[in-house]
Amino acid sequence: MSAAQRTAELSNLRFSLLLALPVLVFLLLVVAYPLGYALWMSLHEISFFGGYKATFVGAENFSDVIDDRKFKKSLWITVRFTLESVALAMVIGLLIALVLNRKMRFAGLVRTIVILPWCISLYGTGVIFSNLAKGQTGIGTAIAYALGFDEAVNVVNRQWVIEVLAVGNAWNMAPLVAFFLLANLKTIPSRLYDLAAIDRMSRLETFLNVTLPPLRFTLFVFTCITTVLSMKLFDFIFVLSGGGPGTASSTLTYRIYKESFKDLDLGYGAAMSFMLLALILGTTLLLYAFWGRREARSI
Amino acid sequence: MKLRATAMAVAGSLMLMSGAALAESGLEAQSGETVFFRGWQYKTDIVQDNVDRYNNEQGGNVDYATVTGDYPAIMEQNLMAGAELDVLYANPSQAGRYFDGGWIMPAEALPNIDAIKADMYPNILDAWSYKGQLLGLSYFVSTRGVMHVNLEKYYELGYSDADFPADWDALYDQLYEMRDKGLDQPFLPHWINEWYGISWGFDFEVMNRGGQVAHPDTHAPLLTTDADGAAYKTLEDWKRIWNDGLVPEEVLTYNESSYIDAYASGRYVFSPQQLYDLETFNREDRSQIAGHASLLPYQGQSWGLLDSAVYLMTSRERSDAQTDDVKRFASWYGYQDQTGNVFVGNRWMQESMLFSGYKSVMESDAAAERMKSALAREQDIAAVLGVYAATPYPKGIWSVVWAEEFNSWLKETLQEFLQDDGDIVETIEAINEEIVDLNKKYGL
Repeated sequence: MSAAQRTAELSNLRFSLLLALPVLVFLLLVVAYPLGYALWMSLHEISFFGGYKATFVGAENFSDVIDDRKFKKSLWITVRFTLESVALAMVIGLLIALVLNRKMRFAGLVRTIVILPWCISLYGTGVIFSNLAKGQTGIGTAIAYALGFDEAVNVVNRQWVIEVLAVGNAWNMAPLVAFFLLANLKTIPSRLYDLAAIDRMSRLETFLNVTLPPLRFTLFVFTCITTVLSMKLFDFIFVLSGGGPGTASSTLTYRIYKESFKDLDLGYGAAMSFMLLALILGTTLLLYAFWGRREARSI
Repeated sequence: MKLRATAMAVAGSLMLMSGAALAESGLEAQSGETVFFRGWQYKTDIVQDNVDRYNNEQGGNVDYATVTGDYPAIMEQNLMAGAELDVLYANPSQAGRYFDGGWIMPAEALPNIDAIKADMYPNILDAWSYKGQLLGLSYFVSTRGVMHVNLEKYYELGYSDADFPADWDALYDQLYEMRDKGLDQPFLPHWINEWYGISWGFDFEVMNRGGQVAHPDTHAPLLTTDADGAAYKTLEDWKRIWNDGLVPEEVLTYNESSYIDAYASGRYVFSPQQLYDLETFNREDRSQIAGHASLLPYQGQSWGLLDSAVYLMTSRERSDAQTDDVKRFASWYGYQDQTGNVFVGNRWMQESMLFSGYKSVMESDAAAERMKSALAREQDIAAVLGVYAATPYPKGIWSVVWAEEFNSWLKETLQEFLQDDGDIVETIEAINEEIVDLNKKYGL
């Protein structure tokens, strides 16, 4: 082979870059451009009335967001909603996985039924839980009436609305968690359980020493996924509670929606959305630092 | 043979006459382009039927669809983006903002605008005009916040028509009497979780009590913090009935249909509802108080506010021919059809007792008959017309570019006021400050 022929060949790196080029262009269009545009908006005050106008304001939108009482309240609501959603989704997902891992009749049918909530859109989930939780149509009222009480039981109130949202969100996410955990459970050799029986381990000891260790990395990954999904959830909250009663369920996504699309304060809304992005990135990095790194090492 | 020839000649003449009538009306679609018509979800089957009639009889190509969710915000995004949208429903409070955004074409652009204006009631014409221009054509006019009364329950409690409260103060006093008689929650307030819910409830109660939220021309805040002021008394009474448990807490989470269902259940005596929903509450297939749904008459104090909707035409980029088709359809749908009949307006009156901004609809015999059949009692017709005639319009906070922003802010503020047991004076001051800030934001 001549030298000229050799230089015409692509190196492995160049070849892989060439293959990845369409994806890189696609990502540039769908991620980088909107992100860059949002950053540009966050540094401007944008007005649509009396003619479109964008005035550069520097970091003013960001400092205003930090001082905003409503932003702080929404931040707390988001954290509370996320913590409850993730805890519920992981615990319910794990329990479902453990149940499905047992030998049972009609296992295929049961699995199909269990995955159904995950197949329902968040809008649909919002409608279902709205009807279940509100006093006028809710399950609480139905039970109360069946027991002879004539008071409606409404849990979409200020005290419980976050819990209602968290339960609905977990109901939607838990099946997915369960199926990934189930796949993990299926890889555990049955002889380990035999050895645990020989060692006379209790059920709890068996769970902690045999079942749980292979699940830990999946649990970490899904904790991250459900955290991110919960923090950026909007449609389910919009349908179920509309951010209310009052501002009781105004999460950051709801607040961003209101600032950006109701008040048309796009610069301020964009600045707030970067705060949400920082919250999501910060939380997942913390999860990795305190949990994920350890799990990754143990694989 | 002779008969056949005669019949053909007659048919031919009729066709020619019909064609001439169509040509004269000038409402037939010409461009062949699609006209996009969007609205919120209300009796969509009737709307589709109306559109089908236009398409069939006038050769139109109108594409109708509904928009669900946060209607004002969604439509604003569509208008801003220049989306495929030509004719849309809007409340006057949104129309002014759309006009200032340069997204709509005022109804003044219609060739028959003088006839349209001449047929409109002056107060309606004023409400739908912004910066001297009529923005849209009549969809409906109503009084939202008319005080409905469930006569069956009212009489059961030992009251008669002579005891009907004349104003808000008397109404609240009577609620406490009712509680003492054993009815814990006699009232379903207008505190619902719709964008027109609790905020409009505050607006109309303040106006009914003789106050104004903002000046109709300058839009400067007008609420006062003195204990006899309309806003103070409104919030004071709200706080009292909320803290005393006279209203169901879940009303804060209701949407419109839940609100109607709750009152139709017969659990409550009074509720400020939509005027045209008297028809709904008196329908046996829809309500458990059918035949007993009435309203408090005008006795010196108004009830509710003038709620209305218009058909707007957008100003998005399109060909002149298509714009002409948009005008033709808007004129046919929002005013008279090719026969000179206010077809859609009259149909809404017959279907749902929706009032119209046009005299030709409201003053017809058919409208009077329809009202009679929709009401529980003969004397309610006078009550309906009396309340309707006295209904105020909040021009100061609706005919202004920031109307929807203020409305959305007010909704949150008032819900928090109730739930946090807020301070009345601080809340009123915050409302005034918000109006000042909004005026400043838009250079008013």
